[in-house]
Amino acid sequence: MELTIKFVADGLKKARYITNERVETAIFLALTLEKPLLIEGPAGAGKTEVAKVLSEMLETSLVRLQCYEGLDEARALYEWNYQKQLLRMQADEAQGLRWEEVSEHIFSADYLLERPLLKAITAPRRVVLLIDEVDKADEEFEAFLLELLSDFQVSVPELGTVRALERPIVVLTSNRARDLSEALRRRCLHLFIDFPGVEQERRIIELKVPNLDTRLAAEAARFVASVRKLGLRKPPSIAESLDWTRALLHLGVKELDTEAIRAALGVLLKHEDDRTKVESRASSLATRPR
Amino acid sequence: MTLLREQLGRFIAQLRNAGLRVSVAESIDAMNAVAAAGLARDRMREALAATLVKDEADRAPFDEAFGRFFAAPATGPGRRRHPDQRGVMESSARGQGRPGENPPLREPFRETQKEPLRDNPAKPGEARGASLSSPNLKEREARGGVPLSLVDPRAEPSAAHSVVEEAGSAEPQQAGLEGTRMAHLREIERRPFAAYTDLEYDQARELLKPLERRFRIRVGRRLRMACRGRVDFRRTIRAGIQRGGVLAELKFRARRPRHVDVLLLADISGSVRYAAELTLELVAGARNCFRRVRSFVYIDRLAEAEFEQGHLVTSPPLDLYARSDFGRVLVELSKRQTELLTRQTLVVILGDARNNRRPARADLIREIARRCRAVVWLNPEDPARWGTGDSAINQYGPVVTALYPSGNLRELEKALVAAC
Repeated sequence: MELTIKFVADGLKKARYITNERVETAIFLALTLEKPLLIEGPAGAGKTEVAKVLSEMLETSLVRLQCYEGLDEARALYEWNYQKQLLRMQADEAQGLRWEEVSEHIFSADYLLERPLLKAITAPRRVVLLIDEVDKADEEFEAFLLELLSDFQVSVPELGTVRALERPIVVLTSNRARDLSEALRRRCLHLFIDFPGVEQERRIIELKVPNLDTRLAAEAARFVASVRKLGLRKPPSIAESLDWTRALLHLGVKELDTEAIRAALGVLLKHEDDRTKVESRASSLATRPR
Repeated sequence: MTLLREQLGRFIAQLRNAGLRVSVAESIDAMNAVAAAGLARDRMREALAATLVKDEADRAPFDEAFGRFFAAPATGPGRRRHPDQRGVMESSARGQGRPGENPPLREPFRETQKEPLRDNPAKPGEARGASLSSPNLKEREARGGVPLSLVDPRAEPSAAHSVVEEAGSAEPQQAGLEGTRMAHLREIERRPFAAYTDLEYDQARELLKPLERRFRIRVGRRLRMACRGRVDFRRTIRAGIQRGGVLAELKFRARRPRHVDVLLLADISGSVRYAAELTLELVAGARNCFRRVRSFVYIDRLAEAEFEQGHLVTSPPLDLYARSDFGRVLVELSKRQTELLTRQTLVVILGDARNNRRPARADLIREIARRCRAVVWLNPEDPARWGTGDSAINQYGPVVTALYPSGNLRELEKALVAAC
């Protein structure tokens, strides 16, 4: 399998992910240079989706680590399987083995519980490792990721260094809840995924909501794009705009007029103040010149 | 090969000039990326962006620099060259998008050798004119999908050169730029507030961001790490079950987020104004570490302080030319104590205690300290001057819970961490 930009572009298309040159190039480089890819951008612009699509494209499995505050090594990397170790010790004791022999056994790979990071590294074939919302994790954890991301190896004190058999494809996503450290950024390729433009969104809507009238799809895309420009508390994500167009479809909307906008707005906007803001401008948004 | 590398090197130098921080590792990545992605203009731009721009805020200057630097040459029909990518970059063979579009060129860049770049006598103005006047052309080229012909080796380097020359000599200044900036910021961290200029105050405010984060982490971490205190039996036993009933690991009650109310009183009279504003901003940034934060400023009266889009707003407005009188402020505070003070309140006072020889009313502080969690005084004045002239700090010192010098950003941070 030769890796070319065309292969990436086709793969994304086949996985039903509509995107632009920027994303294609970044993914292609992440695969070619074998570097982790750090994706930033507003919530709901399709960051996590990249990893899923990648695993689909390369026909490999996706190992996902969801970050949260207080995430530690035991839950991200590995933990010793205490129960099994205890059982082993008791069994060995019954056989009258000496401690040196026992301890040799119980700190081996058999007694290791693999958490996502270790699993991704020790996987026999190349997997996609998604470290989701890395900005939610603590800074200590970020520092701990550095070894993994630059050398694709981790240190387990009792076992030594575990090196990746096949370098996983690493995708990190961040919502910028806080700034990531320079050290982490330096080790990654960077990709900023913004909300799609009108045209791109139209294509996404047409692809994912195939029953919708093409003209309405274009109008919906234009409407969502202008809503995003209003500076709302939470601008609608792609998933929400898809839900919204589906709602339009089920409501039997033929034309995107003020009535239609009001009817399903709750699917698109999740804050009361956002809703009132858009509703007050519904007429101007609806009668936007075609 | 060498030419491309040199070009990219110069481009990166320009990015650094434009304020982007590009490390050596990143520039190596960039070269590998270009080798892999090929020289088609848009691809190359995205490849460089992915490796060199690690913050979306830097994207605009990057695009601008790219547009300026990788302008297509002002072409006569014969001058456009299609560099043989295989010849230019041996390593790129794998990653080429459309190899067919680039007919092999047998003599790559022979001219370059004839005319060494650095000694190029091209008139800077002319060369720059060529590169800057070509955006239309390059746009057209980009739209048409024609691969970017690598900039004319004669015109462009001199153009780049001239730009660099404008900004001063290239390399040494590059290395120095970041270093100087860092050194300057370090210096500001240590510079006494009293010696600030307005410009330095603005720079100090930029420094607050990382400081704020550090402060939050330090205060926050103490909440998170429970490694002493009350043992949580339920969790200890549960953890013990894993180890066959051996209680090998004690689990502790996670400390609750502390119910601390912070009451910050900051003197904003001229002498300590910068210190006060920085403290107010710092504490405002860390407000979610506490249950409630109320900030007041004073000169001779109390006024609630609020940050609105980075600007300090006080209500009621204060007379900035009044003479400091902390005694009167204390009287006001003790009148409002039922509203402002609880047993959980941590009172942080920032000021130089220069009272214009008016009554200090240290007895009121003693009373306040008894009613609330603690009273901490941060004094931005140089400790050598404490107690001289009209300074009443020696009267306040014994009655507050703790007194910290906080003459610069460093000390201020340390004092706040210790206080909170």
